[in-house]
Amino acid sequence: MNPSVDRDAGFPAHHYLNAGTTVRSWLLTTDHKRIGVMYLGLILIALFLGGMFALILRFEHLTPGPTIMDPVTYNRMFTLHGVTMVWFFLIPAIPSVFGNFFLPIMLGAKDVAFPRWNLASVYIYAVGAAFTIGAMIYGAADTGWTFYAPYSTSTAITVTPVLLGIFILGFSTIVTGINFIVTIHTMRGPGLTWMRLPLFVWAIYGTSIIQVLATPVLGLVLLLVAVERIFNFGLFDPARGGDPILFQHLFWFYSHPAVYIMVLPAMGVISETVSCFARKNIFGYRAVAYSSLGIAFVGFFTWGHHMFVAGQSTFDAGAFGVLSMFVGIFTAIKVFTWVGTLYKGAIRFTTPFAYISGFLFFLVFGGMTGIAVATVSLDVHWHDTYFVVAHFHFIMVGAAMMAFLAALHYWFPKMFGRTYSEGWGLVSASLIILGFNATFIPQFLLGNMGMPRRYYNYPERFQSLHVASTAGSTLLFFGFVIIFIYLVLALKYGRVAGRNPWGSLGFEWNTPSPPPPHNFEKELPTFTRGPHEYQVVPEVSNVA
Amino acid sequence: MVRSQVETSSHEGLSIGGYALIYVVLLVLTVATFLLSRHDFGIWSTVIALAIAVAKASLVALFFMQLWEHGGTYRLAVATALLWLALMIVFILADVKTRFPLAVPSNAPMADQPVHGGPGTGKPGPTQRQTPP
Amino acid sequence: MSPEPEVAEHFANAQVQRNAVRLGMWAFLGTEILLFAGLFAGYAEYRSLYPEAFFYCSRHLDATLAMIETAVLITGSFAVVLAHHYAGERRGGLTSLSLLAAVATGGAFLALHGVEYVTHFHEGALPGRYYTLAEIPIAGSSMFFTLYFLMTGLHSLHVIAGAGVLAWLALRAARGPITEHKYNAVELGGLYWHLVDLIWIFLFPLLYLI
Repeated sequence: MNPSVDRDAGFPAHHYLNAGTTVRSWLLTTDHKRIGVMYLGLILIALFLGGMFALILRFEHLTPGPTIMDPVTYNRMFTLHGVTMVWFFLIPAIPSVFGNFFLPIMLGAKDVAFPRWNLASVYIYAVGAAFTIGAMIYGAADTGWTFYAPYSTSTAITVTPVLLGIFILGFSTIVTGINFIVTIHTMRGPGLTWMRLPLFVWAIYGTSIIQVLATPVLGLVLLLVAVERIFNFGLFDPARGGDPILFQHLFWFYSHPAVYIMVLPAMGVISETVSCFARKNIFGYRAVAYSSLGIAFVGFFTWGHHMFVAGQSTFDAGAFGVLSMFVGIFTAIKVFTWVGTLYKGAIRFTTPFAYISGFLFFLVFGGMTGIAVATVSLDVHWHDTYFVVAHFHFIMVGAAMMAFLAALHYWFPKMFGRTYSEGWGLVSASLIILGFNATFIPQFLLGNMGMPRRYYNYPERFQSLHVASTAGSTLLFFGFVIIFIYLVLALKYGRVAGRNPWGSLGFEWNTPSPPPPHNFEKELPTFTRGPHEYQVVPEVSNVA
Repeated sequence: MVRSQVETSSHEGLSIGGYALIYVVLLVLTVATFLLSRHDFGIWSTVIALAIAVAKASLVALFFMQLWEHGGTYRLAVATALLWLALMIVFILADVKTRFPLAVPSNAPMADQPVHGGPGTGKPGPTQRQTPP
Repeated sequence: MSPEPEVAEHFANAQVQRNAVRLGMWAFLGTEILLFAGLFAGYAEYRSLYPEAFFYCSRHLDATLAMIETAVLITGSFAVVLAHHYAGERRGGLTSLSLLAAVATGGAFLALHGVEYVTHFHEGALPGRYYTLAEIPIAGSSMFFTLYFLMTGLHSLHVIAGAGVLAWLALRAARGPITEHKYNAVELGGLYWHLVDLIWIFLFPLLYLI
């Protein structure tokens, strides 16, 4: 009576995952979808390593003074954590995985503009990562991820291999950025005007512009530090007439826009998913699209807010402080748009939606504390304390990571053709959101009380908050473990997803799950509507 | 013999004669900037030298690199890169010119190296056109 | 062996392909401008801090030689313009010769520049702690030469890379017909070479003339 369930009924026979099953067909692929999947594997390794380094740091902070390591190892550990998370996880996560996978499909194209360069970018990433992390594990770099001169140029501890590794990785970012910009400009399908582009594409476009403009500056400044270490020319050395603050100007010229490379794609994911799970038109399409570009540009005018107490002039400090406020305006536009989309929507509280909720709370909280630390007079107190650490973790983990998880859960059925367990999805989302709060809210309090960042030792009175933060971090860890388990199981045992399990109007849901090797079964699509138009407004006739 | 399917306009751009003219103008400007730099026009020396450099660069970009005829997106890319270069220079210069004096590197000279020339250094003192710090 | 299709499969047609590769190269040139930007910014800062040192040190350099180097690079730019023109007319031999002429100008530039470097080595006009030029003992002079060597050094690396690319394109142009891909490649290589010329157009007055 009960027919055995054919686990694979409805699963496409030919798709990008089984078109060619040799190792060679993967290592030499030019299929943007396979490249996206390879990036996913690599950045998850980076996430695991960066997370482990973080846990080790948190365990060290369980007690004041030595707990599980000595001070120099501690310095190396926070450098490892920062470098790994910033460059090998956060910067590539959404663009290189989901941007690669979905950009051509969303544009109605067969691939990105330069598929072989796309493949090269994966290898460049892998070489850069192996080099950097390998060098650091062998004892290099205790400078923090910011490599400030004069310490970075004069410390006896090896730094140059790490600089070289990140320099190499920078090319991966640049190649990806150029690829996406050219794809968006030249390969949009018929009928796909700029104002019909999915908001995720707008976000990727803004991100790619930042990548192309900012990353070369990082390349130069890392090169200069290496040259200084080897030759000691004195470019940043006051004893030879140099200016250490010049290093900071050049470093932060890249590194501030870099944080928008991390958060802009995250915002794109939220724009993409929020209208689907509220089944409502996006509240202000143009506002979100233009504010993506707004953030990309204005993000370049603010770098000096990292240098308020470094010794730069008060004129520059004041200017940077004011300019930093503008980013808040564009971010606020997006937040109001998303909330306006949810208002009176038909909300389905799925796992992606749980992460959207977490994202909104953390982005607002983190963003407002960002405005707070961008205020010169306040930052004098908070600079280099845990307050700043908590602020940027709220954005990088609270916002960007939540969006990454939202993207992973939203697009998992499309990428792999199967759905995961919603129950476990919600459980782990709760653990992660709870664990995140438990980890980082104590850090705001610690920082405000005066606990400096990057300090190995601390006074007794800070211990209870440190313990609370560490407890939260273990909750976070378990949340991730659960996600990993059910997603891996879903790859093989999940229910067949079908073409469009979420009922989304995004363009990528028109193709099978998983997609065929060249993205579309028959001809390339033409576009007659925007991607977030859930309510078709009826034409009002003037004729009675 | 394989011929391209598409009619590639070798008519795009100037004629060889046109490009040769631009080339000659560039050489003339090069010599001009050199000769002008042999005289001291005060602050205007810098202005003239940079203006000629900008003129030469514009000729190369607009005609040799065909920005004039291709226009659009490519011009936007160049303009953005140049604006960003200016942004970096402006803020860094503004910092160094308005900083608290003791934090300025040249105000804390190295013990064995005076910042200015003068008696004993074998060099003439500050020239007229330099404003003293 | 089947020839590579004139238009790659994922492009709609040849014009789209050409626009795409051209935009990709312009975006890459943008990154090169931003790469040098930090050095120009450092130059601006240190010039403003040490106006006299920069004044005397720049007069110490050989501006005549640098003018010749400038003319050489501009000639190279003209040569790649010719190469692009001939490639458009599908004349592989002339394309190849023009490209080789450009490579030669690159070589000449590097040789002349090498003469400058050797002179500086001998007289002690060197960066940082290697600076031993007795004539200009004031603070900031070693900084001038630090910037001089860093900026011209990075530029020269790009000249070498550009010359390498042009040489390879010259080889390809000489063998077999000028396909769509080769024509595009000559344009792109030319754009890169022009950028190398553009950077020098600014280095010349900034380091040697003012």
